[in-house]
Parts: sequence; structure tokens; C-alpha cells
Amino acid sequence: MPTDAMRKWDLASRSFDLLSFADVRRLGPHKRRLFSKIRGATMMVAAGTGNDFQFLPAGHHIDAIDISPKMLERAAEKVAAYDGTIALREMDVCKLAFADASFDTIATVCTFCSVPRPVVGLRELHRVLRPGGQLLMFEHVRSKIGPLAIYLDLMTPWVRRYGPDLNRDTVGNVMRAGFRIRREENVYLDIVKIIEATR
Amino acid sequence: MYFIIGDYLAGMLIGALTALGVRGLVPSGTDMVVGMLVGTVVGMGTHVVLGMLMMPLLGMFETMVPGMLIGMYGGMLFGMRDAMAAGSSTLGATAWVGALFGAAVVLALKAYDRTLRGTVIDAGD
Repeated sequence: MPTDAMRKWDLASRSFDLLSFADVRRLGPHKRRLFSKIRGATMMVAAGTGNDFQFLPAGHHIDAIDISPKMLERAAEKVAAYDGTIALREMDVCKLAFADASFDTIATVCTFCSVPRPVVGLRELHRVLRPGGQLLMFEHVRSKIGPLAIYLDLMTPWVRRYGPDLNRDTVGNVMRAGFRIRREENVYLDIVKIIEATR
Repeated sequence: MYFIIGDYLAGMLIGALTALGVRGLVPSGTDMVVGMLVGTVVGMGTHVVLGMLMMPLLGMFETMVPGMLIGMYGGMLFGMRDAMAAGSSTLGATAWVGALFGAAVVLALKAYDRTLRGTVIDAGD
């Protein structure tokens, strides 16, 4: 398990809820709309402190994983509020402890901006997703607008020390991992996106 | 409504503080290119510091992106203006013009966001 990533997100867990206060409220309705498409056996990748559990549709069983034990400690406090069941597990997305074709749906929120080897992680998701299964992603990516792209590139080495990369080509990475893009939607400029893909 | 007002106030604050910072560092008669470079640095520094404070209140990208445009381009313009001593003779006027620039950038970005928002690819299944 990559200990650098674990250490970084353990540290980030202390201020994560405070720093994401506005993002949760501002982007929540979009996440709720995306998650309404959840069906069947579902895994949530990078559960974080569990801020996004409130946007999950009721009545499901969700396997929620995260690389950071400290994040999961905080997420555990929010599990009870969900009208369904959530099983929290400490796990690296690049090395999932699930059998092939275990899930019908995999959901991610701002995950593949942070996974050190994103294509490896996405290939693991491809492996554990059943044929025809869906990948529902809420992610921020590198802008294609010149000045914004340069800015995100320049900020990434600094922001990466404490948080995510700002310049990932996540749509491209999803396709590189073998998924077919079903739908792509811009939520804020061309930076914050909903990406829906199928295996 | 909270976020709409907050976005504009944040933009106006970054614009005003950038303009005041540039006014303090770029005396009239400075080479215009140097003034623009100093302005850009001041604007970027202002937006990074204020952005970190406002991010929890307004959201990560909604703070970073307008702040960057206001800081970088605003700083450049204000640096050019002050090097030429072309307008805004008082500090109050300087701050108001900075705030106006910030609000204009936020408005323009919101309009641009509306044009980009929505489905980009839909395979129809």
C-alpha cells in the first residue's frame, strides 16, 4: 500500500470537512443526481470522511473503501445517518481485495485526481466491475482552456503536497483503462465533470 | 444566493487588494513592462493568500479560477496604469476600480460557465 498517499490523506483528514464545507453544499445536488443512477452491488471508491454518503440513494448496500484509516475513522461517524448499509474497508484502489466482476456500479468522487497511478487504479475498477457495469464519476480534471490549463499545471506541484493533482486527464485515463465513455457533463467550466462509463 | 453574493464579494476583494498592492509598489514613471510584471506577481500572490482563506467558504475551483484571472490580468493592467499614472488618483478610486474589475471577471466567468455547462458527450445508452 503506498504509504506516502496514506500519510498525506491521514493528515488531510483533520481539516477535510472544514475545507470541503462549501464544495459539499455547492456540488451536492450534482452528486445526488449522479448517484441516483446507482443500481445493484455498489462500491464507492475513496469514501473520504463520508461527506458524500448523504447524496447516496436510500436502500442500497455500499462497499466504501479508502486508503486512509484516519479518513475512514471520520467516515464511520457518518455511516449511521445513511438509510441503507455501508461497509467501510481500508483498501488501495490499485490493489482491490475483491473478486473479478463483483460490482454492478462503482462510484467515485474526486478520487482519480489523487490516486498516484490512476490508470492502474481504473484497470482494477474495470476488473471488479461486471460486464455492462457502470462507472459513475464526479471528478475535477485539467481544463482545455489555455490560461486555466497553464494555471492548473503550475499549481499542481504545490497543491499535490497536501491534496490532489489539478491537471489530470481523467476522461482519457478512463478510456485508457478499457472503459467506454457513456456520458460526460461539465459541472463547472470544463474542470469539474460528471463522467459515466461502462465496462 | 449565498454563493452568488460570495463569489462577487470575493472577486471584488481580490480585485481591490490587488489594485492597492500594485499602487503601493509601482510608482509612476516605472518602466511599463516592469510595472506589469510586478502587478502580475502581486495579483497572483494576493489571490493565492485570499483564495486559501475563502476556499472553505466558497468552494475550491469557484475561488481559484476567478481569483487567478483577477490577480493575474488585473495585476497586469493595474501595473500598467500605475506605471503610466493614468487614472485613479486616490486610493479609494484605486480600490473601487479594482473591485469593479473583480466583479466584471466574476460576471464574465459565470456567463462562460453557463455556455460550457451541461452534457459534452452522450452515447445515448
